[in-house]
Amino acid sequence: MADDVIVAQHLTKSYGATRGVIDLSFSVHAGEVFGFLGPNGAGKSTTIRTMLDLIRPTEGRIEVFGVEPRAHPTDVHARIGYVPGEFGFYERMHVREYLEAFASFRDGAGRDRIEPLADLLRLDLDRPIHELSHGNKQKAGLVQAFMHDPDLLVLDEPTQGLDPLVQQTFYGLVDEVRGRGGTVFLSSHILPEVERTCDRVGIIRDGRLLSVDDIGDLKAKALRTIVFHFAEPIDVASFQNLPSVVAATGHGDTVTLTVQGELDEIVKAAARHTVVNVETKEPSLEEIFLRAYQDGAPT
Amino acid sequence: MRPLIRVSLSAQRRAVIGWGIGLAAVALTYAAIYPSIKQSAADLDTYMQNLPDALRSIIGTDYTSPAGYLRAELFALLGPVLLLVYGIGAGGKAIAGEEEARSLDLLLTTPIPRGRVVVDKAITLALTVLALSVLVFVVVIALGPPFGLDVAIANVAAMCLMFFLLGLAFAWFALAVGCATGRRAWASAVAGGVAVVTYVLNAIAPTISGLSWAQTLSPFRWYLEPDPLVTGIHTENVLVLAAVALVCLVVAVWTFRRRDLAA
Repeated sequence: MADDVIVAQHLTKSYGATRGVIDLSFSVHAGEVFGFLGPNGAGKSTTIRTMLDLIRPTEGRIEVFGVEPRAHPTDVHARIGYVPGEFGFYERMHVREYLEAFASFRDGAGRDRIEPLADLLRLDLDRPIHELSHGNKQKAGLVQAFMHDPDLLVLDEPTQGLDPLVQQTFYGLVDEVRGRGGTVFLSSHILPEVERTCDRVGIIRDGRLLSVDDIGDLKAKALRTIVFHFAEPIDVASFQNLPSVVAATGHGDTVTLTVQGELDEIVKAAARHTVVNVETKEPSLEEIFLRAYQDGAPT
Repeated sequence: MRPLIRVSLSAQRRAVIGWGIGLAAVALTYAAIYPSIKQSAADLDTYMQNLPDALRSIIGTDYTSPAGYLRAELFALLGPVLLLVYGIGAGGKAIAGEEEARSLDLLLTTPIPRGRVVVDKAITLALTVLALSVLVFVVVIALGPPFGLDVAIANVAAMCLMFFLLGLAFAWFALAVGCATGRRAWASAVAGGVAVVTYVLNAIAPTISGLSWAQTLSPFRWYLEPDPLVTGIHTENVLVLAAVALVCLVVAVWTFRRRDLAA
């Protein structure tokens, strides 16, 4: 599609037997925030690094802005902002000096946004980088990625080490990019972060793409656990046949349900008894992964 | 000046100042000792005649003359050691060091092409090695004569040009090993190892019959023979060292453009 910013076709990157990614196919549309969700070591950074021509695919291909990064690296690099998952700085430099150096590598683009972005993120520009905490270094990395208003932001675990307040500011920055029609590719192992920021999400595990979903569908597909405490012992069979109940176990006056989808019928069934207490657990990332695994083939 | 050269030079500032002070101190110290060497010239010359051939082939045969003394004390061993330790260290750091420190990812995702990153780093190395060589030249011509070390300025300039080219060749060699492997330790070990082996080769090859041709394999032969302090500039020596350096740079760019960056 002409307005796809990133297109991966059977992208494979092998490093010996275990690491790398296998046969990834997906596309990221212009103007969307695409989440790339997976546990550490799943292949998120490997995928990202092929987009940026830091490493080259073993098989398959990847295109960014309609060109292969390998063949046209500078065309891609001119239009992206990148926050690596793990990165080093020129430790002896001051933050301002560092950021101005990167502006100069981009022909001065973004120099005028260093101050406002640093203010927004509460980053002190006049300190040497080696004195900064991990979170403050991460902020410097964010300023570096956002300052030149790139068409595509590639963010690899960007909120690592940020305190919750700054995370909110960061989410605001992502919304701003979306607002002006920019595209964001955000990798994360934190589900709420992806829910908060993304339009669609690809789930990757052990180097394979398990699914690509709208964020709403993902939530609907997600398994949740609901525990009812009743006033008297209950026959669990009355819940087992409900369409959205995946599994049900009873133990005296307690019923534990694994649920996918609508809750309406469950609540109505429970309401026939005296409910003392209800506990719900949001699905953990592992549970979502499990679900995605069971669904099988990538969509 | 290209931004990456300016930024890289600024990052090298402290190192260059430190090594510059070291080189200048060495040059100055040996100049200051020269008057007392001169006094015991007759004894020392006899002593030198009895040194092993390999030692004499490297430090020269005319120890007590100003040119011979400068060669033996500054340009035959200690000067190159200091310059090469700096050059090889900085050459390995330029790409492989940044890769290991993980600062290279961001640099390579700016619109500066990979090949130009290597070239800009190479130019930075050249400028810093040049600065150290010019410093040695200035110290020798300014502070040598007061201590009786009078050598024609043109010959000192020729010597320092060869000094620069030798340092450049090894710095770019270390750069190339770092570009090919991504390992700073490899860059230092390979370039340092080659420096030691070719240095020894240059010293002993001429003393072994049938092996003298092997001396031409050593960069130190092209650096020091015939002695620039006595005979001035030799175009072919300049060209050989410059060609070695250039080949290293081409290899650096070629290998670095082809490979994956370390994760």
